[in-house]
Order: sequence, then structure tokens, then C-alpha cells
Amino acid sequence: MSYRKAFIVSNALMLAAFVWAFAKDFNAPWRPYQKKYYQMSADVLEKKAADEKDPKKADVLKAEARKMRHSPMEIKQIISSDLGRFDRCVTCHVGMDEYTNPTLKNDFTQNPYKSHPKVDSALVKAHPFTKFGCTSCHSGQGLATTVEGAHGWIKHWEKPMLKGVTIQGACVKCHGNFETLKGAEVAASGKKLFRQHGCQGCHAINGWGGVISVDLGDIADKPFERIAGYNFKRVKIDGKELPDEHHDSHWNIQNWIRGHLVNDPVAVTPNDPFAHLNAEPIPPSGMPDFTQEIRREEADAVVAYLSGMTKEEVIPYRYHVPAPAAREPQLSGAAHGKYVFEKYGCQGCHGLEAKRGRRRFNASSSAQKEYDPKMPEKEQFEQMSLGAEPTLPDLMGTYTHEELVKKIESGVSAADAKKWSPKGPMPMVYMPSWKGKISKGELDDLATWLLSIAKKDDSGF
Amino acid sequence: MSEATPPIPDPVANPIPAAAPKPIVPKPEMSRGDFLWAGWGMLAAFFAASAAAGARFMFPNVIYEPSQKFNAGPAASYDLGVSTKWLNEQRVWIIRTPSGFYAMWARCTHLGCTPNWWGDQNRFKCPCHGSNYTLGGDVIAGPAPMPLWRAKVDLAPTGDLIVDKAVLENKPGKRELAPYFADYAST
Amino acid sequence: MPTLDLEKIKKEIFDSQLWRSVFRGGVWKDTPRDRAGHIIGNVWLHLHPVKVRPRALKWAYTWGMGGISFALYLLLTLTGVALMFYYRPTIGLAYRDIKDLEFAVTLGMFLRNAHRWAAQAMVVAVIAHMVRVFLTGAYKKPREFNWGIGVLLLTLTLFLSFTGYLLPWDQLAIWAVTVGTNMAGATPVLGNEGPLGSLVGMRINNDVRFTLLGGTMVGENTLLRFYVMHCVAVPLVVGILLILHFWRIRKDSFSAAPYAAAEEKVDVWPHLVKREYIGAAGTTLFIMIWSILQNAPLEAIANPNVTTNPSKAPWYFVGLQELLVYFDPWIAGVLLPGLIIVGLIAIPYIDTNPKGIGSYAWKERPFANTLFLLGVVMWFALIFIGYALRGPNYAWYWPWESWYMLKAAPPATWSVFGPKGVGAYPMLLGIPLIGGLFGGSILLPKLIQRELSGKKLMGGFLAAVAALAAVGMAMGKMGATEGAFLLFFLGASFYFGFVLPQRHIRTLDWPRYLVTMVLVVCTMGILLKMCARLTFNIKYLLTIPAISMNV
Repeated sequence: MSYRKAFIVSNALMLAAFVWAFAKDFNAPWRPYQKKYYQMSADVLEKKAADEKDPKKADVLKAEARKMRHSPMEIKQIISSDLGRFDRCVTCHVGMDEYTNPTLKNDFTQNPYKSHPKVDSALVKAHPFTKFGCTSCHSGQGLATTVEGAHGWIKHWEKPMLKGVTIQGACVKCHGNFETLKGAEVAASGKKLFRQHGCQGCHAINGWGGVISVDLGDIADKPFERIAGYNFKRVKIDGKELPDEHHDSHWNIQNWIRGHLVNDPVAVTPNDPFAHLNAEPIPPSGMPDFTQEIRREEADAVVAYLSGMTKEEVIPYRYHVPAPAAREPQLSGAAHGKYVFEKYGCQGCHGLEAKRGRRRFNASSSAQKEYDPKMPEKEQFEQMSLGAEPTLPDLMGTYTHEELVKKIESGVSAADAKKWSPKGPMPMVYMPSWKGKISKGELDDLATWLLSIAKKDDSGF
Repeated sequence: MSEATPPIPDPVANPIPAAAPKPIVPKPEMSRGDFLWAGWGMLAAFFAASAAAGARFMFPNVIYEPSQKFNAGPAASYDLGVSTKWLNEQRVWIIRTPSGFYAMWARCTHLGCTPNWWGDQNRFKCPCHGSNYTLGGDVIAGPAPMPLWRAKVDLAPTGDLIVDKAVLENKPGKRELAPYFADYAST
Repeated sequence: MPTLDLEKIKKEIFDSQLWRSVFRGGVWKDTPRDRAGHIIGNVWLHLHPVKVRPRALKWAYTWGMGGISFALYLLLTLTGVALMFYYRPTIGLAYRDIKDLEFAVTLGMFLRNAHRWAAQAMVVAVIAHMVRVFLTGAYKKPREFNWGIGVLLLTLTLFLSFTGYLLPWDQLAIWAVTVGTNMAGATPVLGNEGPLGSLVGMRINNDVRFTLLGGTMVGENTLLRFYVMHCVAVPLVVGILLILHFWRIRKDSFSAAPYAAAEEKVDVWPHLVKREYIGAAGTTLFIMIWSILQNAPLEAIANPNVTTNPSKAPWYFVGLQELLVYFDPWIAGVLLPGLIIVGLIAIPYIDTNPKGIGSYAWKERPFANTLFLLGVVMWFALIFIGYALRGPNYAWYWPWESWYMLKAAPPATWSVFGPKGVGAYPMLLGIPLIGGLFGGSILLPKLIQRELSGKKLMGGFLAAVAALAAVGMAMGKMGATEGAFLLFFLGASFYFGFVLPQRHIRTLDWPRYLVTMVLVVCTMGILLKMCARLTFNIKYLLTIPAISMNV
């Protein structure tokens, strides 16, 4: 090719490429949605005009329709300076833009055209869009103007839009009183379940609770970099693996929490109990298996509650609604002891109503066979999984009241555990010291209750 | 390379050319038939397109300024006369007359200071150079050259007043009509 | 009816005072004088001489890379200035502004992509330009100084890229820059973590890293500093050096030629100018299409408490990052890059071979070409390892292995000489041993005056290493992979570090010989240390913790 031709061709191609780039930029994904909204609204107004008897009013409606049809295409955004939100959701969800649709209501049924389904509720009235934006409740990427980007269904956006009841987690962010709040019932039941099953025995929330595992006070901010991909791959929801796309809408913190409740956590985080990859054996997750106790919907409720556990989001002080002062029930003696048992989450390890100790990997217990190093690894694993926390009623009979109080105060060190397989890992779960956490009076009542449920030794010992 | 490119000795095989290159024959001037003009034309078009896009680039699609439109709350909540409720936040007076509402932008038309409302004298008075305005915004004293600007005001179906400071008018005759005046009969 | 006389109108326009005041020169008759006048009379074109040697027109000879680098620099300036209109360098705003460019600014995404991709392309183009200039011997007398300027320009190109990397304030940015600036903290004497640094009173808040960051961690000041360096300070220096570079090129009449050459030169207008135009237009087109098809990466907003896993430097620094696995930061991050830059600048003063100027003379410069290309290949091989073979936790993942696979924990490393090494006072033994090995490798090739047979030497050496590996494998001390590593690394360093110098440069005068061999032996040192780590899991050959000196 001669340079003369190359000159012409290269210039033509540069021009073409530039036109291509501009066309691609101009045909932004939000444009068709906004255009369609204007057309649909104009159609509705024209229909109204046709039905209108009064010609003067009909003319007004027609003018409005014309204006709506030719409204400028623009990126619309809600600025919530208090909450630091710049939400462009209304660029496509035009029906929720107060300036295009002042009533915030329309008759469209499909997203993104329809208006907010709860626009008449006290909930929305108390949280006007112009003040709160969208993402302060719904999460997602407010700055984005693409479908995947805005809903946060992309890599590197770790707070995708909250789905279904999970959105009630948003109430928890500001409302300390969410347990009594209308509309936050699921999150409230999530907290109830959390307490009922004794999660707080191991997981503190903002410092209140046990120290066995991580504080969940900011669990909604857990960075994905801290969750190993190979563990996420083991999470099964409704018996199905999550789609294998890192950081997309399925690999999110909600599914990570849910995965620990609807799966046996040992299956999610098996680690290396036989030291295949490491010099020392590493026990699997110490978390008990709750699949038999917590149903799927209940798991969702816990997820909703924990979705509100964020510290990353800056929420001004005046947006916080304080929690009402907690009232302790007026109980005494053994009845109060049972309450104390549940309040501090003892049932998380020792079982509901202390009836049966939960799993404690590789601790020796009566349910296991004799240790045999020749046993196949799979069987060894099963046997280790049968290791359990003490079933308190079986044990308590030998303690005096004072001994029991002392035992709860001091705890039991992990190193004191009797291992089933001497080569296996040290059990992860241990009895922490509760000294200073459970008050003296509570401790006394707790010991009273525990001794009252202890199995009496009838042998006459 | 069909045209008159000089012979290029291969520097690797033969670093010193054996024969002198052919003399370069002057080419005829650019003719219309060789489409070179098309190349220049497209280059010009490319630059023009870039310049146009560059100009468009300088117009931001989103601005982080508070919206010029704001919701001034339910119309029923206003009493007759001048309301200074939005003066600090939006620099606007909402004025209710027996027949409706208008919103006046609190910017002196002289040099842009914010006048104050003196209810006892029924006047807006500018502290900078002493311009005085009537309730309707007309100048009655001082150096201001024209009446105060009124902003677009709409009565939304919800009963709220929507004020848009981006749309202004101050000509008598026009400013008393929609959209600078929202009809709202007093009950 | 009056006819429209186009020729007359044209003449009137071209002869008008207005036209002539802007465009000087008479009617274009395409005479040699006209073509010369075109170059001399135009401020932009007169960067060229009037005539150049014919080889300057050959794509196969020049690769067009110098011109393309400059075209990319201009493209980067244009797109960069445009981006500056929408970017504010503060922690609260930077990331949001980049999101705005992506989602809300007309052509913002396209311009950001173009800036990002052009920067990457420029790194490639500048390296390719350097390789070309080396291979054609175009750095030799009288162009030694200009080669040095070129090396500085390459360094500044990388530095520009590096400073630009921080500006989006995402995870990619903050960790690349954290690692990069911590290397500065490992500078000997000047850095608080470098050898001897603590002895002269360097602390975290007064060393060279502190100056670079404007604080003790990557923060608000760092962002502003990098912004100013990226947009103003470094481009200014690059501009000044470019003027020097171009001026020298013009004075040295473009392409180099053998000293004895007497070539008929050709006109720059139109022959060179049209090639330059096509090169620039092609580059622009390439960057435009790339920017349309592929978006520049943007990760989550920077979080100083969470490091991405794996965390990698920009690709052109991944080679250095890979070196950081084998060496202490002050070696991999300061000493070796410094040696590379100084070594490159020194090349024209060492290589005084008058042959092989202005042509790809493989046979006339076997040693220079082989060693230079070895360096380039090693650089890119390290980049490949770091970029493609490193997965989560920076563990080694083969391309066919999933990153979701759990990898065995790496075995514990050990040091040969040092407090925890072998023997009672091993440091005292280690210093002379390693020093002796280093010095011996430098001196030995020249001390053997007779030329040795390369084939016999290599054969014997490889046989000995293979025997050693076989013994090691038989004793169960190493596996087949380790054996292969041993054979490869030892063989390569023996060939390039001893056989080649012994055959080719033992006749060089002492100063030139010594400088060359220091560079060669350092390069081989990299290979040997990699071998020691990959085969024997050795952390340090010698460690003196008292002065943070570890080799």
C-alpha cells in the first residue's frame, strides 16, 4: 500500500474509531430506560387528556404530555450530603425521581419504571428519598449508571443491593430500637434467633459476648479478601453451589453468613486436620452445626439482622435512634439462672437448655470409637466430628455450688482438652473465662439452676 | 510503496550503497483525481469531531450543587405575607397572597447582596447600597436597576410547593402568571 | 454571466497578505529546495534535518519505536489534561471522581482508558526503542550521551506510570504504591529500614520514604505529591530531556552508520515525514480501538487495612516484585534497579567495539548482543512469573491450576551464614567466602589468558551438575523439579557468567573489563539466588542482622 493510500485509510479509520467511541459513549445503558419512561408517562397523560371532558383541562394535560415526551435525557441524581450518597438510581428508576414524578406514584408494574411500592407507607414518609437517597437502605453502587454496576453485581463492589427481607438490615444500622419497629420484624426475629441459639456465647457484638470467635459488630464490612475463594466455593445454598464468579452478587457477605447456618460449617471450612498441607494439623471451623435447628427462613432472618452490622458507613449522630434501656426480667433463683444461661449464650456450646453438648471437633467423648491410627482418614474425620462439649447435666452432679462458680469464672484452657486422636488438631472451642462478664449474683443463680438440672447419682455415692 | 520512494539500501546486508540512488523526479502537483483531498478532509473531520467532543466534554453531566429545585413543603402551612422560612437554606422568600403563591429570589438586582425583609415597613431593603423593594419586588428607592427576580413555583398534586430557582422572571405582566405564580385560593 | 475562476481565487488567497503572513514560502514546486525549505521553515518539522540516511526510512530497521513513543507521550498529555478537568486529588474525592469519569462524564471512560492503555503502550514502546537502538549499535560514539538521556527517559517513563498509578485511589493503587515506597524506605543509609540506615539516625519520620510520601503512610499528602509529580514535575523533566534527546538526534543526523560510510542521503520531506505520520496515526488508532473494547481496571476504594490477595505491582514492575521474593528490599528494590540504570548508561563507554554500527550485526557483536538480550529476557521472564504464575498469598500457581485450590504452606527457609546458620562463627567465614566467590567470578575469565573451548567447558560443567543432582536425588534431598532447576540455573550462570566472558572479553582493558564483569556477575547472582531459593529453600546466603545486611 502506498503511503498516500495509507494516509487516506488511516485518517478514515481514526475518524471512524472516534465516531464509534462517541456513539458507544452516547448510547449509555441508562438512555433507553429513561426514554421509555418518558414515552410511557406521556402516553398515560395523553390517554387522560382524551378522557377529559373539560377542554381546558385536556389542553393542560396534552401540554404536559408533550413536555414529558420531550424531556431532556439526563443523568439524574439524589444528593444526600448528610449520608454521603450520590445516588443515580433515579436515572433509570425515573418514577422514583421527585422532580420528574412529583407524586412519586404511577401505575407501571415493571422495573425500572414502576414507582416505589411502599411510597405511601410511614416508612417512606419518614425517609424521604431526597434526604436519604437510595443506597443508604438498599445498598448497591449509587454512582453507577449501568445495570450491573448500579446493583453492585460486579467485581470490586462489595455491597451489592440487598435482596428481599435482607434489606431490614438497613434499619438496624440506625435504629437501636429496631426490635420494636414496624417493618423490621424479620431483622428483629433474626436478633431473637441469634440470642436464642446462643451465638453471642462465641460471637460478641460490639464487645458484648464471648471471645471464642470474631466480633460480629462489623461483619457486614468483612472484606472479601479475607474470605478464601476455596472456602466460598464450598458454600451451598438450597443444596446448590453458588455461581463461580468471584465478588459478583452471589459471593457476598450475606451468602457467607447464610452459608454458615444452612451448611455444616465444618464442610465450609474443613481446614487441614490431617496436616496434609501444613506442618501442624489445623482443626476445621469450631462453629456447631445448626442445620437441624435453624430453618432456611430463620437463617435469612439472622442474615438480615447481621447485614446491619456495619461500621464502615458514616452515619451522622443525629440519624441514630437509641435503643430503649434493656429491662432485666424480675426473676430469682433457678429461673433466673436459666435466663442467665441463655443471656450469655451458653447454649451455643452446651446445647439448648443445656440438654446436650454440641460438637467439639476432636475432643474425646463417649459417642466415639476407640482411636485407631489405622482407621481410614474419612472415618477418623467422622469420629473427630463426634467429639462434643460436655453435656452439663451428666457432669454437674460432682460439683459443689462453689466449685461450679469457680469453674465458670476461670474457664477451661484449650490445652486441657482430652483429644480423641492424639495426632489430630487441638479442639478449637474451649470454655472462656466469664469472670467480670457475668456478675456475682447472676453466677450464683446460674450455678443454682445448673445444679437443679444435674442428673442425680442414684448409686448412693 | 509504489510511488517515487528512493531505493533504500539494506543496511544489514550492504551498509554502503554500491550505486547512487536514482534522482528524485518531482511529482506533479496534487490533483483532484488522487483522493488525497479525501485524506485531508477526513483528518479535518477527525479534528473537528474531537474538538466538538472536547467541547461537549467540558459540560458536566452531573453537578454537585444543591438542586435548584426544592420542595418548600405543603402550601397550606404558609400564612399570608412573606415567609422567610427558606431564606437561609435556599435564599428564597415564599410570599402568599390571597390568590396564590410566588417565590422571590433574595438577590438584589444591583450587585447581588441579600436584602432583608422589614415587615414593619413592608419593604425589602438591601444592606449594601440601600436599594428598597416593594412586596412585589419593584424598586422604590436606591440604585437597583430592575425588580427582584421571581422563581418558578408549582403546586404539586401532593399539595406541596415546588420552587425552581433555575427559571426566573421579573417583568411585570409575566411574573404574575404561571409558572411564576401558583394559584391557591385562600380558604 | 461571470464564470467562477477557481484558479484566480486560489491565487488571490495564497498571495494575500494574511495568508503570506502565516505561511511563508512561495508556490510549491516540489524542488529539492522546496523540500528543504519545508523542513527548515516549519518550527515542528525542523526537529528533523533536511536529509537523512536511507535506513532511517526502513521500518524493519527503526521499528518506528522512537516516534511512536513520542506520539504516545503527546497522546498521554492530551488525554491527561482532559482528565485533570474532572479529577480532584483528595482521599474523599479521588475515587468518586474516577467513578464519575466512568459513569457520568461524556467520553470520560474512553479518555481514562486511552490514558491508561497509552501509558502501558508507552512503556513497551520505550523498551522496544531501547532494544532496537542497542541491537543496531546506535549508542556508540558519538551518541553515548544521548543513549544515557534515553535511559533516563525510560526510567522517567516508568516513574510517570508509577505516580499515575496512585491517582484512582483504589486498592490496586494504594498497595502498588505502598510496596513501591517501602522499597525506598529500604534504601541503604537513606532509608530507615535499609542497611546502615538506623546507624545514621534514619527513622520512619525523617528518611527518604517520608519525603516521598509526605507522611509515614500512604495518605492525603502522598496523593497530592504524586498528583503534582505526575501532572507537572515529571512531565516537565521529561520535556526538557526530550528536547535534549531530539536535539542530539538531529545533530547526529538521525540513524547511525558505520564510520566509513558515505551514503547518499534522502529528503526528509516527504519520505520520513509521511512515515512518521502513519506511525502516529496508527498508534492513535490502536489506542482508540483498545480503549473502546477494553475498560481500564478499577478496584474497590483504597483501604489501608485490607490488602488485596494477591497484590501485584503494575505489570512492568512485577519483575521487580518477583525479585523481592528472593532478595531483601534494599537489593531488589534499590541496588538492582540502580545497577540496571547505571549499567545501561555505562554501556556505550564500555562497548568500544567499532563494528556493528547501523546494522543488526549478530556476528560482529556476539557478547554485547547476547548479554543485553539476556537481561531483557530475564526482565520479561520475571514479569511473566510474577504476573501469570503467582496466585493468592503470592503462592506459585501453574496456569492450569485454579486459584481456588488450597496450596500447601511454604516450607520454612534457612540461612547459610549468619547467627542461625551453620557453624560457630559462620559470619566470619561467610564474608570472605561470598566475597571471594564474587571477586573470583569477576577476575577468573581474564586471568585465564588462553581461549578455552566453550563446548568442552559447558559439557563438563553440566555433567558435573547433573551428577551432583543425581546424587542429591538418590539421597532423597531433592526431587526432579529441584534437579532441573539446579541444572538450568547453574548451567545458565556458568555459560553467561564464565564461558562467554572468557571467550569474548578477556582481552578488554582492565577498567572496562571490571565494570562489565561486575554487571555480569550481579546478573548471574540473581540467577544463583533464585536457584538457591527454589532448589534448597535458602533465605539468605549471608545475614548480618546488626546492620540489616542480608544477601
